[in-house]
Amino acid sequence: MTAITLTINGERTPLEVEPRTHLGDAIREQVRLTGTHLGCEHGVCGACTVLLDGVPVRSCITFAVACDGQEVRSIEGFEEDVAMAQLRDAFTKEHGLQCGFCTPGMLIASRDIVLRIPDADEERIRHELSGNLCRCTGYVGIVKAVRSVIVTRQAMSRTAPVAAKPTVEAKPFAAFTPAAPVATQSVTAAVSDTARQGWTRFEENFVIRRTPAEVWEVLKDFPTIAAALPGAELIEHDDAHVKGRMKVKLGPIAASFAGSAQVERDDKALIGMVRGAGSDSGSGSRTKAEARYQVTPHGDGEAKVTLTVEYNLQGPLAQFSRSGLAQDLGRRIVGEFAANLNARLGGGPAVAAAVALDAGNMVGAVLWMRIKGIFTALFGNKT
Amino acid sequence: MKPAAFEYLKPRDLPEAAAALGAEGSKLLGGGQSLGPMLNLRLARPSLLVDVSKLDSLRRIEETPDLWRIGGSVTHAQIEDRRGSLPGIEMMAEVAAGIAYRSVRNRGTIGGSLAHADPAADWPLALAVIDATVIASGKAGSRKIPADRFMIATFTTELKADEIIEAVEVPKLSASARTGYFKFCRKTGEFPEASAAIVLDGPRRVARLFIGALNGAPQSLPALAAAVAEKGMAAASKEAIVAALKAAAPELDAVGLRMHAGAVTRAISQAVGP
Repeated sequence: MTAITLTINGERTPLEVEPRTHLGDAIREQVRLTGTHLGCEHGVCGACTVLLDGVPVRSCITFAVACDGQEVRSIEGFEEDVAMAQLRDAFTKEHGLQCGFCTPGMLIASRDIVLRIPDADEERIRHELSGNLCRCTGYVGIVKAVRSVIVTRQAMSRTAPVAAKPTVEAKPFAAFTPAAPVATQSVTAAVSDTARQGWTRFEENFVIRRTPAEVWEVLKDFPTIAAALPGAELIEHDDAHVKGRMKVKLGPIAASFAGSAQVERDDKALIGMVRGAGSDSGSGSRTKAEARYQVTPHGDGEAKVTLTVEYNLQGPLAQFSRSGLAQDLGRRIVGEFAANLNARLGGGPAVAAAVALDAGNMVGAVLWMRIKGIFTALFGNKT
Repeated sequence: MKPAAFEYLKPRDLPEAAAALGAEGSKLLGGGQSLGPMLNLRLARPSLLVDVSKLDSLRRIEETPDLWRIGGSVTHAQIEDRRGSLPGIEMMAEVAAGIAYRSVRNRGTIGGSLAHADPAADWPLALAVIDATVIASGKAGSRKIPADRFMIATFTTELKADEIIEAVEVPKLSASARTGYFKFCRKTGEFPEASAAIVLDGPRRVARLFIGALNGAPQSLPALAAAVAEKGMAAASKEAIVAALKAAAPELDAVGLRMHAGAVTRAISQAVGP
């Protein structure tokens, strides 16, 4: 517990909080100011909006410990406030609320609009209020209420309507020849296509500077693969089965998937099929993945490995999915794996380890195709 | 929706912050507007948060003859409120005003957003197109990284574990420079599906066009930028834009291609259109 002092609605308030306690919980649970409502608790709905040092913030993604010494004003702290009184009346008159859940946040955001943008028209009000969600009113009443307060305040202060923006004489664009163009960053194509309902499919390929037959043999050797695959740890294996764990750190997200897989190989066609499943105990997410890999001749005595991964992800991490992030991570893992494998096989210099993959987590190995599928699955669910 | 337990440190200065960041499980905290949701959803479970948002040295906006130096802990709202008083980089205030919502902009910081490196975020794109420089400070001192090379991939940047974005240096554009910035958002304030930005500065002979909201870092469309500088809207045909997009971001599917083409067209039109 950490001792902090907040000035809440004008009153100096010492509190003992855990670092993880967010401001909304601190004022609701400890100070019993329950007017601040917690809706989504991840910064989307705006219901928990309070003033911190005079400006609106989302109390659910503001940690109380970070506010030590600051002034907090919650919905209970506006009794003497003229603008808030006007807004309360207007919300009542214009039917700016029904269930009332969003109202505390709505009022605090509206007051900020009224004071900060004293000439806001309906479009601007709608724009500025877009971070506060209301599921009852359809916003019409709320927007009318805010607009009516703005009109009232303009009349009260007898301010002249804001002059139209001065029209700047638009000069035509003057063409010019730029200096040497900037270099383009290289990108590898990643094809994505949906294979079956709820599954995501993508393809990657890379070249290893060894013959297809040599590469095929290497791909049978789990410890060698493991050593080249960052973040992987081999737990046990035989010819066709493997158990392992892999840690990947993607920005602030760290996950550790444990699982097992089976491998089928066609030694003539140089095609392999891996089927596996795993789970991340931290997030309680589960995944199933299948990967098909094929080794084909490429150029002068080199081998191209083509990889097609299909995966399905369930659990909390799936909710975070954003299309495309999976491919990007997959591409980096494959790229680093290929570089490491080339270096290990003496086919080329080691490429600097991708900074994306947390060096501290690079331990051992696992069957890389399946793992790639799993970790790719973590961060995207493009369907 | 409560985060897993963590320790919290408010360092007095950059060296103390850098020292703390060396520890396993430590994570830098800026305004917390991206990290906060990840913590609440328990996607991120750091053991220590090092809060640099209150460091005074990181909260200043300073002007030199050639550039603006914006501290890493300057909030989006601070930049938004400098509308009309950031000569040479007016575009920055416009970009800031379009980030999420005011209650987010009041806490979210430019350094935090850059370091978080969400592919769809505004600052990685805007600072790349305007050719800003990131000043990173760590145990080994500070170094400069061009903003267009700073982001490597999703949530991944050039920053080392102990480094903090001290500031970004944004070069002043000429008075006659043209800029355009457009993003497609399904809902106001949400992360965009596609984004594009252009800077055409004739006196400085700079033509830069970037697209954002990709799978990874923003990408440059240098040939198209040069063509637009030389020929204006005439160079921005649908075919030319689609060809440039396919070269810069081959991973774009049909929808992505179309949305990015729209964003590029509108950004160019803002800059050179009638």
